[in-house]
Amino acid sequence: MNIVSRRSFLSQASRLGLGAALAALTDVPLVVQRALADGGIGRPGPDGRVRKLLFILLRGANDGLNSVIPMGDSAYAASRPNLAIPPDPLQPVTALGPAFFPESGSRAGTYAHPYALPLGNGFAALHPSLKFLAPLYNSGDLALVHRVGYPDQSRSHFDSLAYWQTGTPRADAVQEGFLYRAMVESGLANTSPLTGVSIGSSLPLILRGSRAAMTNLSDPSRYNLLAVPNTPAANRKFDAALAAANEVAFADKRDRELLRLQYGNLSQTLELFAQLRFDEASNTYRDDVATDGDTDWAAANGDGYHLFPTTAEKNGGWLRAGGNQASKYVVPTGAHDFFEDLKAASIVLNKTDAIVAGVSIDGWDTHSDQVNPRDAASGQGPHTGAHAGLLRRVGWSLYALRKFFTRYADRCRWEDLVVVTLSEFGRTTVENSDAGTDHAEASVMLVAGGSVKGFLPGATGGVSRSGVFNCGGMGDRILPWRTGPTGSLFGADERYLKRNTDYRSVLGRILRNHLGATPGQLERIIPGYAVPGESLLTRGVQTRDGTEVIGEPDLL
Amino acid sequence: MQFRTLPAIRVWCRTLATWGGALLSFSPMVSVSAAEGLQVQDLEVVGGEARLSFKPAPAVENYQVFRSPSLEAAFEPAPGVLRPGGWSGATAGEAGFFQIRIATVSTNDLLAANVLQRLAYGPTPDDLAQLRAVGPESYMAAQLAAESVPSDLDTADPAPRWVRVTTTGPGTASRLYVYLDGAGEAYLDDLRLVAGDLDDGTQPNLLRNGDFEGTLSPSWTLSDNVAGSARSAQIVHSGGAALHLISTEAGTTQDSSLWQSISPALSASRNYTLSYWFRTSGDATRLTIRLSGSGIASEHGLGGEPNSPAPLYARLEAGMANRADLRAWHLRHAIASPRQLNEVLRQFLENHFVTQVSKTQDYFDGRGYDGDTAELLAVRTEFVENRRWREALLNPQVTFHDLLRISAESPAMIVYLDTVTSRGDGANIANENYARELCELFCFGVDNGYDQRDIEEISRAWTGWRLELVAPENEFNPHAPRSTTYLDPAVTGSGLNANTNVVGVWAMKYRPDRHNERAKYPFFQWDASGRRGAAKQVPARFGPPWAGRSYGLPLPARSGTSGYRDGLDILRHMADQPFTQEYLSVKLCQVFIHDGFQHGYDFTDAETSPEEALVHACMRAWEEGSPRGQVREVLRTIFASELFRSHGGSLQKVKTPLEFVASTLRALRARRPDGTWTADADGYELYGLMNRAGRMRLFDRAEPDGYPEDAPGWISGGTLAERLRFVQSALMPAGMAGKEDAGRNTRVDPVGLLQLSVPESQWRDADAVAAFFLRTLFPAEGTANLLGYHRIAVDFLNADDTGSNPSPLAGLVPGSSAYDLRIRGMVALLMSTQRFQEQ
Repeated sequence: MNIVSRRSFLSQASRLGLGAALAALTDVPLVVQRALADGGIGRPGPDGRVRKLLFILLRGANDGLNSVIPMGDSAYAASRPNLAIPPDPLQPVTALGPAFFPESGSRAGTYAHPYALPLGNGFAALHPSLKFLAPLYNSGDLALVHRVGYPDQSRSHFDSLAYWQTGTPRADAVQEGFLYRAMVESGLANTSPLTGVSIGSSLPLILRGSRAAMTNLSDPSRYNLLAVPNTPAANRKFDAALAAANEVAFADKRDRELLRLQYGNLSQTLELFAQLRFDEASNTYRDDVATDGDTDWAAANGDGYHLFPTTAEKNGGWLRAGGNQASKYVVPTGAHDFFEDLKAASIVLNKTDAIVAGVSIDGWDTHSDQVNPRDAASGQGPHTGAHAGLLRRVGWSLYALRKFFTRYADRCRWEDLVVVTLSEFGRTTVENSDAGTDHAEASVMLVAGGSVKGFLPGATGGVSRSGVFNCGGMGDRILPWRTGPTGSLFGADERYLKRNTDYRSVLGRILRNHLGATPGQLERIIPGYAVPGESLLTRGVQTRDGTEVIGEPDLL
Repeated sequence: MQFRTLPAIRVWCRTLATWGGALLSFSPMVSVSAAEGLQVQDLEVVGGEARLSFKPAPAVENYQVFRSPSLEAAFEPAPGVLRPGGWSGATAGEAGFFQIRIATVSTNDLLAANVLQRLAYGPTPDDLAQLRAVGPESYMAAQLAAESVPSDLDTADPAPRWVRVTTTGPGTASRLYVYLDGAGEAYLDDLRLVAGDLDDGTQPNLLRNGDFEGTLSPSWTLSDNVAGSARSAQIVHSGGAALHLISTEAGTTQDSSLWQSISPALSASRNYTLSYWFRTSGDATRLTIRLSGSGIASEHGLGGEPNSPAPLYARLEAGMANRADLRAWHLRHAIASPRQLNEVLRQFLENHFVTQVSKTQDYFDGRGYDGDTAELLAVRTEFVENRRWREALLNPQVTFHDLLRISAESPAMIVYLDTVTSRGDGANIANENYARELCELFCFGVDNGYDQRDIEEISRAWTGWRLELVAPENEFNPHAPRSTTYLDPAVTGSGLNANTNVVGVWAMKYRPDRHNERAKYPFFQWDASGRRGAAKQVPARFGPPWAGRSYGLPLPARSGTSGYRDGLDILRHMADQPFTQEYLSVKLCQVFIHDGFQHGYDFTDAETSPEEALVHACMRAWEEGSPRGQVREVLRTIFASELFRSHGGSLQKVKTPLEFVASTLRALRARRPDGTWTADADGYELYGLMNRAGRMRLFDRAEPDGYPEDAPGWISGGTLAERLRFVQSALMPAGMAGKEDAGRNTRVDPVGLLQLSVPESQWRDADAVAAFFLRTLFPAEGTANLLGYHRIAVDFLNADDTGSNPSPLAGLVPGSSAYDLRIRGMVALLMSTQRFQEQ
């Protein structure tokens, strides 16, 4: 126990009225019997289906200002001489309407378009590497929430990403994830072998906790055991002996309960996953339209692009008659492993009882060489480079998930799913000497799903409801983006974009309105959710650092 | 094993009623529970039998149950039997009291186990025997003075000698290939292939002219790359001639090898044993002798030790090693180095001052080199950094500052955290990456004694720290000019100076024209309007002698080469601040004791845990030494602590993937009389598990926080599946499907270990065999606590492969394949249990 920080935290917490909530978190065993659990987490709705969540961790801190770009702020280009994405001379950012989607057709490179893509709210634009978000946005299934952070923001990757995952900013004593707590609240964590699942190298903090094991799949295609000799009979002999060994009692040691739970989860889930098809041959999921206007490719291959680009052949329009073409990739080839993970997460959500699944994209810590230098000959420029490659993963992921859960889903449909991105903080408004950006504060969150309240066109054109939150124009009705060379948010507060939304408000909205948490459960999942000084529910000032926030954004 | 019965009465169970008729059960009343962790859970009497259930206490060799009719009377041993988690014995039914006495693993044996789990990559059977003989104290003292422990691992075996190799597997094909994996030469003699699992010398050789006494042709066919091979009459193992294999390029299969077809053909359903003698050399080349397809295969380095790191070291020194070589070298040292503590510390440093070889490779990729060369250059930066740490650790007075500076000036770090391009001249805003991690991860710990302003001040100091291609003698002179020696001086124009035409080494270079020359004020206070106030002071919670000290570091405006001193001054200053002392002491305690040590203790309050007290003691050892910051002083403090020596430090951690693979090999690794080992690996193949079980990509971590020490960071269903697959695969004999997981050069011979260690009379005794492996694998657990595993192991040994039919071990012949597989399966089972994940 971290005596100083825990004690000082608790005293601070009790001043804020958080004490009781945190005591419950750290000291009191939660009731885990399904019969006693209330609320709707993990329970089928009237339509017989369970609402689910897919999270994507963007590890390293995404530069939100070059993702959802405040093009209407004249300080943007001036603050970022090397990084700024230029405006499209043909697509004024001031126009109102749907987001601009530059289809490449059958010849142009997928990401040849070098300009920012106006979002139709008169102010904001997408990085062109996020172009596949445009159709999602225009269908009303995407909310882009800008200026998201939390009080007394840490600029340490590890602390900050931990706070996002525990749901408790600055509470270092909390060692369990908020989605773990949500799974415990469902009452299923100790009765169903699958509630929360991650696909990746290790179980992320967001799903860790001491009283129940969540599941992590490192490589779903290898999730089975071997034996000596390696015959089916000897494997059964080994499995039985190991199961017996798992039951042997030992003296207490620090990690023995964790090992017992995780060994138990392993043995319970081996059979479950053995019934799912994770192999490459089964990766036949395709778009239902000629993706990106690539009618040549669709004509030659039937259907649109593969949804999960796990090989070069399945990566966009690369595979072409007359010579393969790298410019037609939808994601960098280095992303194939990630899409293997995303495919597995999608299959798990669709085919099992899992309520939550998650994946990670690493590499967002763009201190240097965030973009490629401008080079007219090669077509390189700020719309290409390291950050662009990362954004392409995100843009294509959300596009593909919508298609997968619309076209192939049986147990979990697109309406039943919310996809959310989490990243520890944003990056400096002003670029550094290395064509990069350093650690800062607020950034952008993406929330997608069939029941998200996104863009709605007006009856006679224009915009009835925007899917952009907190970045100018429509949908930014509460705390507008200040613009101009002197009053801009770029210049305010040194090089740090201040938040006007707390990430817990976005998560709380999802937990309650989508997953079905009761207000009481939400208070246990995100301690202090209803405490007035936190201003998580409705607009107000967060007393910890006196910053005004909008409360919950109306996105679900 | 030593036994020491503790006389203390540990637990009382009192029956509340007279024992009488059948089927009465009793609720015991536990009146005293003094034993650590021992809890009596139940006492019931059923049909004249009393059954005690208790939760085990740590490290118990034996539980003895005594009883007495009254508290005044003497306690007598109660006849009965121990079972896992309890005891049962007949009772006549009279009223009475029970007493449980425990005999624990001796403190010496417990300490020996702790020492080998923490100062080493797990115990080896030889280590356990050695520590039993000399005691753990002398081992610890020797490990703390690594320069006194001889190690010739990185020097090639100087005296060539003949080594015999033998391997057994199914006869899946009938052509035998002999080749080297590159240009080189080897001497080979008495090549034999016989039917069966053993070659006792009497069976007929199925190969023609395997002793090379006759001319090579026609029995052997020579492909072009080995066409220069001949018989040697000077260097022979036996008889009048041996094969002198001369290879101009690597072989892989029939058309690049010396080969023959075996007639009559072998049977895929039978086992055959291949054996041969080869002569060692300093050559890094590897010799392969195998059947076509995936049958019997034998691959050996020609170095004196088959898996000696010496050839790798030579390659690393020459800058000719890739990342797989570097990892293999690192792993071989983890498995085999006699300076185990230094290997543990070197990994600690590599992980604390983490860098990423692929990022360095990208840097060199962008400087005109092809991808392969860029990798060699990047790997060299990692190697040089590690070699310098290793040399520094041999200095008895090595300080944290010495190690920090090696990291800061390493080209690997300069590229990794972006100082290589950071500029502070003119209006340039310095890159904050290194400055932040210097504070947060390398010295002070997060939010501990610094703030954003300090990071900005420090970031301005780390401008101008770049790389340059300098003459080799200038490798550690940051002011040296670019090398002007050229590969081809005839090249003209800018091509002459192209990196690929310059002879030299990439090293740190200080560029004054990129430096921010203004004065800098790290660790001062600033008001809202940006005015500098007083220096920061060490907070009160540190107590004496630290609290209240000012630790601001004003740095004057500096130009020219003296600007380099900005960074050096900051390193010198930060290295011994109490924040650094605290942060590093906590991390070391986490590595050597358990993960529950926390940052941020209040050293002034009355509430002091043993953990807090030890961190405080480490900080004092750091502070009071002269010079300050001596690593060995801090380690001595940890190793002398009660926490380290007691159950508090025993088996309280989960192994990282590196520790898991190294300890798997070490657990079964004993030296045979002929100098070979009962468990060995080439180091290359072990990386597969490390990558799959949590992406422990040594030398190539993307995140600057290093790999975690704690269990939740490593343990999940997916990673456990990989760990269990690895263990099963490692224990498989050559050629079995699934062997590719651990790798075919990962060879483990548990029967060989057993036969070295226990008398022949016990080889077919399932109880004795299980007991031997249990005490070898779990030396700190205690025999009585292992009773459950023991029964499962014995049942496994006495059942056939289906597990459902009896097949006593006593009925199998040692030396037979069936016996070998039975033992392998049982050992793999024990190493797949939860307890083998711990250290």
